[in-house]
Amino acid sequence: MMKSMKARAKAGNALIYAILSGLSFIWLLPIVWLIMSSFRKEPGAYTAYIIPKEFTLDNYTRLFTETTLFNYPRWFMNTLIVAIFSCIISTVIVLLTSYALSRLRFKMRKPMMNIALVLGMFPGFMSMIAIYHILKAFGLTQSLFALVLVYSGGAALGYYISKGFFDTIPKAIDESAMLDGASKNTIFWKITLPLSKPIVVYTILMAFIGPWVDFIFVSVIMKDNYQNYTVALGLFQMLSRENIYQYFTRFAAGAVLIAIPITILFIYMQKYYVSGITGGSVKG
Amino acid sequence: MKKLLILLATLLLATSLVACKAEEPVAEVKDVTLKVWGSQDDQAMLGEMVEAFKAANTGVNWTIELGVVGEPDARTKYLEDPEAAADVFAYPNDQVMDLVNAGALYEVTINKDAIVAANIQSAVDAATVDGKLYGYPMTADNGYFMYYDKSVYSEEDVKSLDKMLEVAQAAGKKVFFDVSNGWYIASFFIGAGNTFSMVDGKQVLDFNNETGVKVGEAIKAFTAHPAFLTGDDNIFKAGMGTTIAAGVSGTWNAGDISTILGANYAATKLPEYTLGGVATQLGSFAGFKLMGVNSLTAFPEEAMALAEFLTNEANQIKRFETRKLGPSNKNAAQNEAVLADVALSALAQQAPFAISQNSVAGTYWGPAEAFGLALENKDYTMSIQAMLDALVSQAAGE
Repeated sequence: MMKSMKARAKAGNALIYAILSGLSFIWLLPIVWLIMSSFRKEPGAYTAYIIPKEFTLDNYTRLFTETTLFNYPRWFMNTLIVAIFSCIISTVIVLLTSYALSRLRFKMRKPMMNIALVLGMFPGFMSMIAIYHILKAFGLTQSLFALVLVYSGGAALGYYISKGFFDTIPKAIDESAMLDGASKNTIFWKITLPLSKPIVVYTILMAFIGPWVDFIFVSVIMKDNYQNYTVALGLFQMLSRENIYQYFTRFAAGAVLIAIPITILFIYMQKYYVSGITGGSVKG
Repeated sequence: MKKLLILLATLLLATSLVACKAEEPVAEVKDVTLKVWGSQDDQAMLGEMVEAFKAANTGVNWTIELGVVGEPDARTKYLEDPEAAADVFAYPNDQVMDLVNAGALYEVTINKDAIVAANIQSAVDAATVDGKLYGYPMTADNGYFMYYDKSVYSEEDVKSLDKMLEVAQAAGKKVFFDVSNGWYIASFFIGAGNTFSMVDGKQVLDFNNETGVKVGEAIKAFTAHPAFLTGDDNIFKAGMGTTIAAGVSGTWNAGDISTILGANYAATKLPEYTLGGVATQLGSFAGFKLMGVNSLTAFPEEAMALAEFLTNEANQIKRFETRKLGPSNKNAAQNEAVLADVALSALAQQAPFAISQNSVAGTYWGPAEAFGLALENKDYTMSIQAMLDALVSQAAGE
């Protein structure tokens, strides 16, 4: 009896592992292919074989040395700058909004939350042309500052997840702090925030990744100002029908490099990504 | 509430102030500010041309900026914000209808006769809408023809599609033709004498008549041949020289194909195919790139002078020398170096069988692609007649 149960558990596990390995293979294949393409010596977007015949680092070095046609280093810095600033601004906005909506009670709180939720459901690019004309009226188009505004402007609408997290932090902690004379502001910075590392990290990561992957807003705002492109729009220029054959492997290299700052941030942040911190904070 | 209103009012005031500060000062020496759009690959060359233009036209305080917008994106980028668009921009001739309908283009009024006389008739026609000229012809190389591998084919072989397939099959290679693409598949119909026309803004095709059905059968036989291969540019370039012996494509691939094939590189007009037992020459589309002047420009005369300069004979030759772009200017096309170019001379051989894309509507491409795709996938559930009827009615937007 015991034996057959064990055998069944084993068989079940084997099946699960087989499915998981299959899934991870499917999931990893494009990434492996992209990385291999970035080291491929033969040009062209498509080859009849998967493993490149010759490997080279040229694609990476030429991305940074041959900048007359495609100024990758400049685009990379543009994106990094925009990502850092919009990350800081939108993280602060999201956390402050969420805290206010979670802890404070004021008139119109519920309707405001509902409106924000509904607004958040519309895709951002719906307002793209309107945003462009507003920026134009202020004379801000084609600048990196405009991009920072666009990426961080709507941040407050994404309050929902962090508000949910703040709701799980017991009110008792706030109350005991208030008894000790802390104001709402002190509570937020000194007590709630240190307890909310996972959600802070999540918010930072989401805000940082945005500028690296967005294509639509950059292309509308930057238009013909080539020097201020971000990597997503810049790399896409390499894929025009005249250039794709020569530049595809360099495009792949550029795409791999984008992953670096994001990965570094993620690895650095991961140690804070521990749940259950709140669980141990209230003694009793 | 009151505070909010005051805030709003201030904001409105601020925006309106920002919006209306743009009045041009009138100086002794005329200040002219112009912007030119061209593709990224053209920037360095355009910069040199603009410098030459400034040097040739002194007495004006020129400020000429360059912006990066490639020809294929011209229409989209223009329509997003016409005021921010360039004064002079390059666009492909298939966008001319939409741009004219949007009121985007300034009619060419200065030196019109000289421009018409200097350029080939088909390019001028492509830039003309209702008898008015809306663009300066710049290049005449947006078409397709047959690239082939000299080690597989003789000059005699490439005259007939059947022969090409036969030779390729014997050599264990393929003939590449992107049939599931309205631009390429049209070549069979154009060759057979089927026509495109626009009636009341709707696409009218006669592809489902008796000839059209024969054409459909010919495409079906072609796609069913074991040596037939379809795909996009990437598939073509990856296989050319190894698994692919010949393929239909355009001048934008000339540099890459000649590198791949080396000494075996050759190109010629499209071959003849068998239409109901009769050898028939494949037709094609001919496309042109034009330089247009923005109707909202503050300096129309100067913008026209610049556009004319950028597309004159000398600059068309310069375009060929730096970027291998085929000229539309009659004299430039007779330049020795241009005549010696393999791809451009193949295109020139194909030119008599090519038609302009001006009467092709946006609704044509989707149904044509579906038709080609069904044949490529050997999906014969519907008769050719029924498939062509569907193509014609869908292209008309019914």
